[in-house]
Amino acid sequence: MSYDLNLRTVVPYLGSLPEAALVTVGLSVFTIVLSLLLGIGGALLRRSRAVTFRFVGAAYVEFMRNTPLLVLLYLVYFGLPQLGLRLNGFQAALIALTINSGAYMTEILRGGLMAIPRGQYEAAFSQGMTGFQTFRYIVFPQVFRIIYPPLGNQFIQVVLGSSLASVVAVNDVASWMQTAGSATFRYIETFLVAGIVYVGLCQAINLARIVTGRLLFGPAHVARGR
Amino acid sequence: MSSVFADYGALLLRAAGITLWISWLGLLLGGLLGAAVGLARTSRWRVLRILALLYTELFRSIPVLILMFFCYFGLPLLVGLDLSPFAAATAALMFAASSLMAEVVRAGIDSVARGQWEAAFASGMRYRQVMRHIVGPQAVRVMLPPSVGVYIATLKESSLASIIGYVELTKTALLIRETTGQSLEVLATITLLYFVINYGISLVGGALERKYAIAHY
Repeated sequence: MSYDLNLRTVVPYLGSLPEAALVTVGLSVFTIVLSLLLGIGGALLRRSRAVTFRFVGAAYVEFMRNTPLLVLLYLVYFGLPQLGLRLNGFQAALIALTINSGAYMTEILRGGLMAIPRGQYEAAFSQGMTGFQTFRYIVFPQVFRIIYPPLGNQFIQVVLGSSLASVVAVNDVASWMQTAGSATFRYIETFLVAGIVYVGLCQAINLARIVTGRLLFGPAHVARGR
Repeated sequence: MSSVFADYGALLLRAAGITLWISWLGLLLGGLLGAAVGLARTSRWRVLRILALLYTELFRSIPVLILMFFCYFGLPLLVGLDLSPFAAATAALMFAASSLMAEVVRAGIDSVARGQWEAAFASGMRYRQVMRHIVGPQAVRVMLPPSVGVYIATLKESSLASIIGYVELTKTALLIRETTGQSLEVLATITLLYFVINYGISLVGGALERKYAIAHY
């Protein structure tokens, strides 16, 4: 344990860190937005009246939950060009992350929708509310409360998963760590810096979730689901 | 796809065995470490609780890929001995699984009502006795289903071992891909293999869950 920690050795590489962090954040934000949309579609499929749609939705979720993200990324990055679709690393990572995260979003949204009993819809309709009004004033406020904690979790999972983009030559924080590490052989120091960035990002999401959760739902709402 | 499996099926199945083995090892070691952290999280001492919370939060906020690199390149510098890709990957999977298992253990212990602790202590039992005879058996039943989930997570994460050069299922597929140039077929084949393995595990987990009938109480 006689390693002499010298953080000054990584200083020359810190200049490219903000850019790398921006790539990580950008990839994560794009993924979160797109996979949330995909999740809405997935949840609607899973709640559809048609058996085929329900099956497709369930198959999608089960498949994504039981296969590694890395293999999906390779499939998109190496496999799709064989079908004539050439993608750069960022595009491939965005697609793979979105498809993967979309399955988890599907389950989160479905779980939220499942918590609303049929009787509430019937009651709302019998009051003369339209479909949109029912969703806006009855369903959504309740569902949002339920999906809020796991949604924050999934955001964190996306940030963590975005590190895989470094494998397909995207210059994110994980890639920064490898470059700086192999150039200086200062693996501990570069690990510490990259670790601080990821922990900072994830804990920022976590804190934002807790703070906005208190603001939205009151102090009684404790962050659950982690 | 069929041609790939005809030529390399035996190789891929053996590689799948390696993937099962290293993820099982990671889960086992991570389970032991996680049990210690989980017990610390339910400890009477505040310092121990905070340390355990920091541990779980830390390892849940660092990508497993980064852990892999750290264990392969960084850990040898700290401990002064070279780690094989196998040892490094196992260590990384252990750390990742330990933070998940710590939460599972904590939730298991918390699921047992406080009154049972108080009753046991009032009957003159010691901490170890309460754990062994009262809380432990009940907590384990609650912990079983999420543990299956942790195993599946670990198995998926074990694919990252390919990046530090450990030849498991994913690395084997990449090597075959380089030889044959049939990216789509090879990668689709292992995706299917991963799915079959993980889905199988989750079915077994579901059966266990039903057997002990603990999910809905």
